[in-house]
Amino acid sequence: MATAMKRRLDAPLIITLFVLSLFVFAPMISAFEYSVRTPLKGGYGWDQYTWALKEEEFLHYLLRSGWLAAVTVLITLLVLVPTLTWLHLSQSKVRPLIDGLALLPLVIPVVAFAVGAQISFPEVMQNTVFELPFLYFILALPYAYRSLDIGLNAIPLKTLTEAARSAGANWFWTINSIIIPVIRGAVMATVALTFALSLGEYTLTVLLHWDTFPTWITYVAQDNILGAIAISMMSLIIPFLILTGITLVIPERSAKGRK
Amino acid sequence: MSSKSLTLRNISKKFGSVLALDNFNLEVGVGELVALLGPSGCGKTTALRVVAGLENQDSGKVLVGETDLSQTPAHKRNMGMVFQAYSLFPNLTVEENVTFGLQMRKVSKHLRKKKAEELLELVGLPTHSQRFTFQLSGGQQQRVALARALAFEPEILLLDEPLSALDAQVRVNLREEIRRLQLSLGTTTLFVTHDQEEAMAISDRVGVMSHGKLEQIDTPDTLYNKPATSFVASFVGTMNYIPAELKDGHVEIFGKKIPALKNANAAGAVFALIRPESISVNSDSRDHNAKVLTRLFMGPSSNIVCQTNDGTIIQSLMSSIETGDLHPGSTVKLEVLNKEVLVSNA
Repeated sequence: MATAMKRRLDAPLIITLFVLSLFVFAPMISAFEYSVRTPLKGGYGWDQYTWALKEEEFLHYLLRSGWLAAVTVLITLLVLVPTLTWLHLSQSKVRPLIDGLALLPLVIPVVAFAVGAQISFPEVMQNTVFELPFLYFILALPYAYRSLDIGLNAIPLKTLTEAARSAGANWFWTINSIIIPVIRGAVMATVALTFALSLGEYTLTVLLHWDTFPTWITYVAQDNILGAIAISMMSLIIPFLILTGITLVIPERSAKGRK
Repeated sequence: MSSKSLTLRNISKKFGSVLALDNFNLEVGVGELVALLGPSGCGKTTALRVVAGLENQDSGKVLVGETDLSQTPAHKRNMGMVFQAYSLFPNLTVEENVTFGLQMRKVSKHLRKKKAEELLELVGLPTHSQRFTFQLSGGQQQRVALARALAFEPEILLLDEPLSALDAQVRVNLREEIRRLQLSLGTTTLFVTHDQEEAMAISDRVGVMSHGKLEQIDTPDTLYNKPATSFVASFVGTMNYIPAELKDGHVEIFGKKIPALKNANAAGAVFALIRPESISVNSDSRDHNAKVLTRLFMGPSSNIVCQTNDGTIIQSLMSSIETGDLHPGSTVKLEVLNKEVLVSNA
């Protein structure tokens, strides 16, 4: 009887997952199929991929976007983990206000953002590509903030922090050796979200006249749409592989991982 | 073990408009275990947290030995602490948890491992060093927390209701182990609890707190038998409040004149404070002065609740063997066994 009930419950779940998978993967599969077409010879081949990999600019822009995304991730973690830890521990009255402020980037138009950055950033910053990670950080803030907030809500933060401090750990070690490893899942989600968002950011980058991987893809698409799609496919796969690699390399120390 | 004395001098602490500690003073001698006991909100946990540096006092001083630690941050105070909630780090093994404090003090890996083995042996978990916290029971987790608090040889050990989340039998076992360890290591210990039996069982002295102040601090025996205030009398153990007349330093209870311990010069209507075990219930006598309302059998002893002829409810605690023939409705003679009694104003 229990098995029969399980089957009945499973059916809607399977259908939902199938429809969702179709929604997510069908465009990607179609794009992939399109990118491996060889219109001149007919049939399929890896021509566009080998072409893209031979392009010098491919690696140049990929690395540039990669390190910009990495710096953004670093800024996000450095700013948000201590701030959110403090907000959770202090039970500050300003927390609802900061919760609200963290959502603002979702409603502020990117154009306004770009103009605002031009006006408010120090000139030294405006002349270097380093202005981008700070702006990417703000764009990723709503997602990164929520993810870390949920992670911190799920642990006995006050007790763990006090236990670490009374055992002799200063704030740096408390956050570094206890809090971050304990909310590892939330930190990894933040890293993935911020990295992916920074790597694919286009509008703000173009408005500020910088060239990164996404802007280069648009440039390529003007002459070679199949090549641009092949590059886009690689830009999807490469970060996925990098993030999977990071997840596998960092040892799982939480209790759940040992079950 | 480099244990030191602990002194709290005129500590005051407010949370908003609530005064949690009111000019609070406490001295804990070297190697002594002092328990702070009191109802919820009396300030006992706040006092402990002020000592640990997890809460900043508004005024007053925290001295360890002769050193003033009032402004020292928590991580520099060298105090081990065991918390009420399970506080082990879930990302670390048992051994890593125990040696966390040593790692923060940059002790070599070899020495850390040796110390962990030694302490896990002491708390009875020598084979659990590579386990994670989710693989331990509540009692085992608190043992590891105790080992972690003791690993770096703290000057003061702070116990914040460490047994309250555990099962009854585990509590009894662990409290005895805490005492055994504390005595063998000679660590000055401040223990906060709301469980008076726990406090009485393992402490050298017990401090009873009320409204942010110490009402009385004394040995468990003195606290129980000679409470300084009516609050202490009512909070520690069970107490009968028997209306009586105080005259010439004596009160007359159930026809017996007994010297009063306090207010001996006062006169008039008072309450005589008498423990249930100091009242005997006799069903053989013909001179009845009360009747039995209930008899609660508790194994070796029984609690007899009686009502005197004037309506006062009296509790008596007697051996179950002596009270086998007492039933609700039985008429009995109550007698006071005390040679002297405490009195409080009516």
